[in-house]
Amino acid sequence: MDAKPVFARPEDGVRRLVVIGGVAAGTKAAAKAKRENPDLEVTVLEKGEHISYAGCGLPYFVGGIIKEGKDLLVRSPQDFNKDYGIVVLTHHEAYKILTEEKVVLARDTESGQEKAFSYDRLIIATGAKPVVPPIPGIDLKNVFTLRKPVDALKMRSALEKAEAEQRKLKALVVGGGLIGLEVAENMALRGASVTVVEMLDQILPGFDLEIAKIVENHMRDKGVNVLTDEKVNSFEGDREGFVIKAYTTKRTLDVDLVLWATGVKPDVTLAKEAGIALGPTGAIEVDENFETNVKGIYAVGDCAQTRNLLTGNPAFYPLGSTANKMGRVAGTRAARQSFLGTAKERSPLYVLGTGVAKIFDMAVARTGLSEQDARKNSFDAETVLVPAHDRAHYYPGHKFIITKLVVDKPTQRLLGAQIVGEGVVDKPIDVIATALTFGGTVGDLAAIDLAYAPPFSMALSSTIVAANVMLNKLSGRMTGISPVDLKRRLDEEKGKPGGSASRPFMVDVRTEAEFLTGTVPGAVNIPLSDIRRLKDVVRGAASELDLPDEARKLLRLPRETELILICRIGQRAYLAALELKRLGFLNCKVLDGGVMSYSFGLE
Amino acid sequence: MSVIKVGARCLQCPGPIVELHKASAKASPGDVIEIEATDPGFKKDVVAWCKKTKNELLKLDDFGDHIVAVIRKC
Repeated sequence: MDAKPVFARPEDGVRRLVVIGGVAAGTKAAAKAKRENPDLEVTVLEKGEHISYAGCGLPYFVGGIIKEGKDLLVRSPQDFNKDYGIVVLTHHEAYKILTEEKVVLARDTESGQEKAFSYDRLIIATGAKPVVPPIPGIDLKNVFTLRKPVDALKMRSALEKAEAEQRKLKALVVGGGLIGLEVAENMALRGASVTVVEMLDQILPGFDLEIAKIVENHMRDKGVNVLTDEKVNSFEGDREGFVIKAYTTKRTLDVDLVLWATGVKPDVTLAKEAGIALGPTGAIEVDENFETNVKGIYAVGDCAQTRNLLTGNPAFYPLGSTANKMGRVAGTRAARQSFLGTAKERSPLYVLGTGVAKIFDMAVARTGLSEQDARKNSFDAETVLVPAHDRAHYYPGHKFIITKLVVDKPTQRLLGAQIVGEGVVDKPIDVIATALTFGGTVGDLAAIDLAYAPPFSMALSSTIVAANVMLNKLSGRMTGISPVDLKRRLDEEKGKPGGSASRPFMVDVRTEAEFLTGTVPGAVNIPLSDIRRLKDVVRGAASELDLPDEARKLLRLPRETELILICRIGQRAYLAALELKRLGFLNCKVLDGGVMSYSFGLE
Repeated sequence: MSVIKVGARCLQCPGPIVELHKASAKASPGDVIEIEATDPGFKKDVVAWCKKTKNELLKLDDFGDHIVAVIRKC
């Protein structure tokens, strides 16, 4: 038999691979390339002290949930050399790429020595850096960004020092994104008094307002001061240069420690100077193999541009999950002249921006497009907001979660989802991400055969219930109004004189007991059981006098009155709408997700 | 004054608050109602309900898999 070895082809021509950046995507690419082509000489240049660290774990190191700094380090340079035969040079800052000569120039920041590294293939994994505006006081001591283990260490020391001195640390987080909120939680759990300031009108960019509001309310319940629509303009320090005050557009805050977390931007200086093309997001433009416009040069991780799976538009999602996938593919493609794989692969260039975060007792997750994203991209979007349990209601420990689905009305294709609550959200968001990846419709989602047993799910899982509510809406069985739209309507009506004809009549159809736990301001209480009796009165089978006042008032309303029906989660309001339609009230709307999802304050 | 015990374990929302409301309607001022529920939403509900109905919430314990609330009817 004349079996040729598939691997180890010295004639391949690709002998040297240089990787710039050794955190997530860079080390993944280097290790994968070496496995693909064991003859390849692989060198990783990392300007920092550590490689392969878990950047996403830093907030938990600040809070002490991850106790040891070494726990964050996935692998050491020595491991890489010993286990993989990869040369890792830390404290090596690449400062120029000579694309013609195929050489990277780097400086050893410890010895000051300058070195040149020849390559056949180059992978750029320079990551992203925090966006920090040059405002007064930004350089003061105890004003941090969180990108590297050393940042986390400094923040933790400040927390520990305050703890040792039995002093309540006053911490300020600027930016209401995931990292900011995770650190806010960790510092609060550590005993600090924490304020979050967000410039936009909501925290959690990328999520819709009502979902962000639920998280915001939860953070307030946990003692975090959340300020939106507010911008930090400057800081003031004491004589030793430690930050003591923050000046916002609305107030002055006393602070001992500041985390500046208003997002990151791709670190592309090196690539740009080498003539490598950037995309409209400012990140490096790559093809499905993560190759740049310069042949033989690849870009992966937070410095590279992805595309949104649903719109096809250039996207920038600096996420560890995406970075690792990119690294793997680029490592395979860069390792040899011609790619040897025969398996049917799909490029991870197209992403959904799926993400999840724990915020105190809640978790919040998203995938695909938010309602805001969908409208921006001119989709004719329909949404539902459906509270449900994460497992059987009779099984101890079950919790509520609220699922929001966004669907393209004409095609009924899923566009995205957001899930929030104290229960399990990561499983359902992954189910929906899977459906989105395969181009699923809402009907597909409703029909998926999901695992069920009481400790894990409801017989009809929360995801399927949400899909079914969406099917009801799409088929015209139900008309809804979202909490955001209702809030907007109520605010508009506030400015108008009393008894305005456009004012909707809001009916809370829950029992009196539940009504007393709080409702949408202005709603009256007519329990569903009374609404069911209305038809007897209309038919003459019962006397109007048997009805409570509010129900009598409802019966006398013109039939074209806009009725907004409210219950706890939306189900009884839907039943009430069906009853009222039979009585001729055709303009009935159900408050999506009921009072559970109405995050704008109950009375 | 009497102590009224209400078992509302395994009742799905709105079961527990409805049971409490019923018990409270029957109770006399000064009576103490002790209610046990597994519905996680009950915790928030009972706080809001007491505030609105002006009954006194004497105790509210969350044991993770069940909640115990003690209320004095005013």
